[in-house]
Amino acid sequence: MIEIKNLRKTYGDKTVLDIDSLTVKKGEILVVAGPNGSGKSTLLKIIAGVIKASEGTVVSEGEIFYLPQQSVPFAKTVRRNLLFAAKDKLNAKERCSTLLNELALNELADKNALALSGGECQRLALGRVLMNKGDCLLLDEPTSAADIEGGELMEKAIKRYQAQTGCAIIMTTHSPAQALSFAHRIIMLNRGTIAEQGSASELLAEPETDWGKKFVDMWKI
Amino acid sequence: MANITEALSLLTEMDTELLQIIGVTLRMSFFSTLISCLTGIPSGVLLGKSSFKGKRTIKKLTGTLMGLPPVVAGLIVYMLFTKHGPLGSLGMLFTVEVMVVAQCMLIIPVVINLTESVVRINASRLSETAKGLGMGKAKTALLILSENKHSLLSVVLTAFGRSVAEVGAVSLVGGNIQWKTRVMTTAIMLETNKGNFSFALALGVILLIISFAVNIIAAMLVKEDKQ
Repeated sequence: MIEIKNLRKTYGDKTVLDIDSLTVKKGEILVVAGPNGSGKSTLLKIIAGVIKASEGTVVSEGEIFYLPQQSVPFAKTVRRNLLFAAKDKLNAKERCSTLLNELALNELADKNALALSGGECQRLALGRVLMNKGDCLLLDEPTSAADIEGGELMEKAIKRYQAQTGCAIIMTTHSPAQALSFAHRIIMLNRGTIAEQGSASELLAEPETDWGKKFVDMWKI
Repeated sequence: MANITEALSLLTEMDTELLQIIGVTLRMSFFSTLISCLTGIPSGVLLGKSSFKGKRTIKKLTGTLMGLPPVVAGLIVYMLFTKHGPLGSLGMLFTVEVMVVAQCMLIIPVVINLTESVVRINASRLSETAKGLGMGKAKTALLILSENKHSLLSVVLTAFGRSVAEVGAVSLVGGNIQWKTRVMTTAIMLETNKGNFSFALALGVILLIISFAVNIIAAMLVKEDKQ
């Protein structure tokens, strides 16, 4: 479970994130939507502990794993990237083999990860995170560089992982289809604040604010 | 031409004094490089990957020290280790050990600055990726070193190059004493002043061979790693 209270992040005079309260329960999938610069990545970075909040608290239970937007491939083979990422080495080879199949990385397993394309890199980056059993996954636009097929493989892998581990997931996305397919709940950020929140069907049918209506209209297009 | 022939015969005969000078040079350069890299690389990584108060000042300071003239470094170390200096009781002046100290003073800022420039490029993204995978600080630092190992090898080679070619500081604190603290660069200067060009030339050739050999070994290490 993750509980956020009075969270603020400021850079000088500029407030980039301002969330009074947000709770994510065990097993819940929360999708964070919003335009560029709305604070989605900042929120994930603060929860992951990559950057510090200017004010407020984030309380979390269990182990969190985080997939940044620009995850770096390590200068090793694809297989060794996956094995290196595993904190628990027990059965790591089996998990690695499953993920290589699941993410269609089998043929690339012995290739240096630095030679992969953007989409392949993103599949590998997701695979590295899924090598670990976490209580919460933070995924920052996990399929943004993938083609349709790659994106579908990644979505399947995330769903399989969530079903097996029962972990909570907080995911940012620009894809309405992805949000609808994953979210138990969606929050929409506008300039760092939560402008709308609710279930996917509620939000798409009846946004409360004018900004929400405009944003949902754009999504529907 | 006669000088070159004599230099070649000194090389082939493996003159005892020549061998001793090579030994001192290699010992001094090895330890200077080792100590400079063991202290300078972690400091450079820290400077490249972290944000803290005073970072800019430290960067400016190390940048300034990169341009420290060797004779000035030698003078400072000389004053520290001279008989009535603060470390005079150690009796280390005119030894290889104090030559290593003077060299470290010159090389550590170079290693810190070069490492910082290498690491700065990808450290924040690597740290973020490592943090996301639940890696601790030590494992993250090792990952940053390992991901930049080829560039860091160049840093080590630069440190060795600076060490082996240095003359001003080692001459001042080592005293260029025959059979004791004479290294190739100081010997070349002395022999040239004496007009003994063949000996100086032989030393120059060996200096080049050593640099070449170190570069070949480094290139082999990199190639082996890529395979």
